[in-house]
Amino acid sequence: MTAQPGMSAPLPPERAASGAAKLVVPSLIGALVALTLGIYGRLHSPTGIAINIAGFSSPGSVKSWLATGATVLALVQVASALVMYGKVPRVSAPSWIGGLHRWSGRFAFLLAVPVAIHCLYALGFQHYSTRVLIHSVFGCLFFGAFTVKMLILPKRGLPGWVLPVVGALVFTALVVIWFTSAYWFFSTFGIKR
Amino acid sequence: MKRNTPLITLLTGAALGVVLLIASMLSTPSKTPAGYTATASPTAASVAPATTAPASTAAPPSATAPSSAPPTSTATAYASAPAQANYAGKVQGGGASVAISIHGSQAIAYVCNGSTVEAWLKGTTASGGKLVMTGKNHARLTVAYGSGQVTGDVVAHDTHYSFAVHAVNKPSGLYEATAVVRGATIKAGWIVLPDGTQVGSLESDANSSAPSATAAPELDVATGTAVFDGVVLHAIPVSGFTGSGF
Repeated sequence: MTAQPGMSAPLPPERAASGAAKLVVPSLIGALVALTLGIYGRLHSPTGIAINIAGFSSPGSVKSWLATGATVLALVQVASALVMYGKVPRVSAPSWIGGLHRWSGRFAFLLAVPVAIHCLYALGFQHYSTRVLIHSVFGCLFFGAFTVKMLILPKRGLPGWVLPVVGALVFTALVVIWFTSAYWFFSTFGIKR
Repeated sequence: MKRNTPLITLLTGAALGVVLLIASMLSTPSKTPAGYTATASPTAASVAPATTAPASTAAPPSATAPSSAPPTSTATAYASAPAQANYAGKVQGGGASVAISIHGSQAIAYVCNGSTVEAWLKGTTASGGKLVMTGKNHARLTVAYGSGQVTGDVVAHDTHYSFAVHAVNKPSGLYEATAVVRGATIKAGWIVLPDGTQVGSLESDANSSAPSATAAPELDVATGTAVFDGVVLHAIPVSGFTGSGF
């Protein structure tokens, strides 16, 4: 969250190497998170139901809207990161861009959690079609990747490419999840509440 | 210093997840599903015969005996699987119908949109008030028992439906017919709703591991017959009360 592009600029080679070593533990923890979700989703017998979120017509639509919200916020994430890293021509990062990045990320994560819990508890890790298999795998990977991202954010002396790459992985996973669920839901059933 | 904030984010999310998971676990054992399906109850009730009090989320499945429950059923509120029951109705959104019959520990279900999306499913009623049924083409149906109704989700031909359907009486319910036409086993299914409307599909090669379906010819409920391709199909009701079709 304290990503400050200026700080992660060129590092001496030996420091960069030790920086990469700092990725090992967070990556292992992230892998463990993804595995745990997948194994739970596979072993737990799906119930078909979970707790209600009022005001929507079906679990599918609740989840689709939450996932869509998270994905929109993820787009904000990419845009604000590009600005922070100075990749947008003629736009200099305003002082509030870091806050925007942090808070949009937090909300996106918090929107994704209830969706994941419903998936894991009510539906489980499934593989009865390609779409469903991809969705299940990337659903687990997303939370693993997000865990890695959170754990490495406070670390000093990481190679400059690390945060953008991990951030891009998180974003990619979320977009894959969205296309294999909410996009499928809306295109199958129509955009409804 | 803000070095801890990412960790706080993670832990907050994890805590939220755990809370939701526990809430889900607590809500599941109650037989009136406090789940998403609760929002569907009023919709389903409006389909059912009038005067039926929709099972409210909090109400225990006892006091009000829905008038739509079959008089022959042993009880109107089930703590777990009823021994004999027939349920039928439209899924949420009305895109398809679903029928579920329970006879002893056996359950047969059919979901059908009157065209290509359909599936026959079978399952065994287990303790714990939960029924999971499976069928060809990766079809899967989960059921939770309520007061004179069942709620659940079904996936057939990659199409997902949620439903809350009520107990029904003859002549409403599920019908099936099988016949061998030119060497191929065809199997048709119809779901007849309390308002008299029906929806049916027909598998042209029912023994295939992934049968495909088309719209079924109209079933004459009075005679139990339908004509397909010049052949008269004789339909039998799938009834949890008589055990026919099981």
